[in-house]
Amino acid sequence: MNCRDCLRNLDTYVDRELTDTELEEVRQHLADCPPCEDLYELRAGIKRLVKVCCDEGVAPEHLRSKLRQILF
Amino acid sequence: MVLVAERTAETDARSQFAEEAIGYLDTLYRGALRLTRDPAQAEDLVQDTYVRALRYQGSYQVGTNMKAWLFAIMRNLFWDRFKGGRPEDISLDGDGEFALYDTLKDPTAAPESEVLDGIAAEEVVKAVEKLPELHREVVLLVDVEGFSYKDAADVLGVPIGTVMSRLHRARRQLQRSLYDYARESGIVHAAEEGA
Repeated sequence: MNCRDCLRNLDTYVDRELTDTELEEVRQHLADCPPCEDLYELRAGIKRLVKVCCDEGVAPEHLRSKLRQILF
Repeated sequence: MVLVAERTAETDARSQFAEEAIGYLDTLYRGALRLTRDPAQAEDLVQDTYVRALRYQGSYQVGTNMKAWLFAIMRNLFWDRFKGGRPEDISLDGDGEFALYDTLKDPTAAPESEVLDGIAAEEVVKAVEKLPELHREVVLLVDVEGFSYKDAADVLGVPIGTVMSRLHRARRQLQRSLYDYARESGIVHAAEEGA
């Protein structure tokens, strides 16, 4: 696998959407190619950051009570 | 007796549905906040989502992905209610879905991954909320909620390839926003950029 193919597959690699064979090819390329590995770290880092930062907070209690009245 | 038993079964099914649905309240509310960027509108959107879910309870197949089903309802309501209709505009997707991969390695927009540690959570949220809605919703589904491309495609009613291209564009934009922030706030110095 060359850099171009690796970059083409980077999102799907980060998202764990590749087949086992493709995954192994990307993993192998990243192990041998520091610039691609850096970019992978960045992409994976941004994904983690977005998850952690946007996954905080709970619904207000009054909304929960109102919904319980509607639903039950 | 049979009637009573039927009614009890119906009530049980309804409360089971309600119990499962309300389990997704926090996650739906967070999604609604990111979509509307306004707490009052987010509350309205979530409430309307549950009202609609209850009304169309019959169309939900027990054992399937309720979270995806609820997100699909909420997402469609969001576009109908706040944006004047569901998006048909595909201009954001552009042509040649993967053409942008050619410019993926753009050193002027790529902070080192260690730089990410210095970025405050609210700046990340801000960067996500700055994305165009079509890009923001796919980031919410895949990155925040952990939906597979297939489930995200089902929620959005688009092919998987569209999910992938929107996601790709969204991430490039996020990367750019975070880089700009890192530079402005001194986390990345101009001297390091040239290094």
